[in-house]
Amino acid sequence: MKVRFKLNGVNKTDEIEPNQTLCDYLHDAAGTTSVKKGCDTGECGACTVLLDDMPVTSCLVLAPQVDGREVVTSEGLGTRSAPHPVQSEFVEQDAVQCGYCIPGMIVTLSWIFAHAPEASDAEIKRLMSGNLCRCTGYLQQVEALKTARKKG
Amino acid sequence: MRSFQYLAPIPHFEYLCPRTLSELFEALDGRGKELQVIAGGTDLVIALKERMVTPKVVVDLRRLRRELGGIKVEGGVLRLGALATFSEMESSPFVARYAEALRQAAANVGTLQIRSIATLGGNLATASPAADSAPPLIALGAKVTLLSRSGARALPIQEVFAGPKRNGLHPGEIISSVELPANSDVRSAWTRAAVRNENVLSTVSVAVAGTIQNDRFGPCRVALGAVAPTPILAEKASGAMTGSKATAEQADRVARLAAEDSKPISDIRASAHYRKHLVYVLTRRLIVQMISESMMT
Repeated sequence: MKVRFKLNGVNKTDEIEPNQTLCDYLHDAAGTTSVKKGCDTGECGACTVLLDDMPVTSCLVLAPQVDGREVVTSEGLGTRSAPHPVQSEFVEQDAVQCGYCIPGMIVTLSWIFAHAPEASDAEIKRLMSGNLCRCTGYLQQVEALKTARKKG
Repeated sequence: MRSFQYLAPIPHFEYLCPRTLSELFEALDGRGKELQVIAGGTDLVIALKERMVTPKVVVDLRRLRRELGGIKVEGGVLRLGALATFSEMESSPFVARYAEALRQAAANVGTLQIRSIATLGGNLATASPAADSAPPLIALGAKVTLLSRSGARALPIQEVFAGPKRNGLHPGEIISSVELPANSDVRSAWTRAAVRNENVLSTVSVAVAGTIQNDRFGPCRVALGAVAPTPILAEKASGAMTGSKATAEQADRVARLAAEDSKPISDIRASAHYRKHLVYVLTRRLIVQMISESMMT
């Protein structure tokens, strides 16, 4: 079926099978390979994208459900030359190891950055609990968000 | 085993996204089990992947937000649209004012990513015995409005739950909204026990709602989740609490009755025995907290 939506600020029309998840579509067909399939059951958060400015696990969304809506992936948050403040601080704070969870984690933290600027450490942890990292832990990521906040 | 099956794509189905209620009812007409309704999709998409359901048609409600969404107060009634998301309930000042137990449950469901799209109507229609929105709504005396081509009908919230993962909707019917009294004198609270804090099914959940005046309980209800085939009203506990003296001893007595009201099973999350103990501990905790808060305000 024909689906029209906005992907990272660009209008897009595509022929999409309804039985495809948004996660598979974005990664395999739309070229936004930052969207990673981890658990495929909404537990790990590696496939997190913004759907109408709310973070969702794209493995739990059917691709046709984005018709008429706006999707932002980590690619859409910033570029190599003009990264999002959270993306810059992931580099500065060394908040990276294998990288698989990072795009989803950055999408969630960019949302917290924009929508919960006053969030306490405990609240940040509650809000990012849907993004699992299996190698580094979470301290650097929280630091990255807080430093990005401080730098405004 | 499970991940192996995930290599196969979800079987094909037809996807419909009606723009009006009459288009919706036309789509729902006479399809039976071949049809599944999708709202947020956080339960259904997993069920599709696991082949727990294999519909020929999936009907998406998301273009009916005007008819089935929103949270508002009108004429002393708090109305929660079936498409209200857990995030919306978590941040709604109306829910905080009139249904604090529901706000607490909403804030603890799943993760931020789940709460962003999972809906109240979906949580009820999935009819899990552990549905976290249900105990607060039962304790607060909510009613559910169901819509079909032939009109609307209202049900007490418990009756939406027919059995584990089985709802009481008739074919062609959808959940339209949930209504509860907008009474700011009613105190309510929710808590649960689970193996971790986030993105987890409740092992036991408890909600208490009611009033306290001059050191006596007014009408009160205790409701329990994950301790029976459906979320339940703890009838003996609610009866004993209503009109009694608001003391710690009474909290203990009501909590023991709540444990008697529960009918838990043993499963992967906890034994039946432990669940009964949790009902007692959590119910007592909520009632004691309700009493101490009433002394402070």
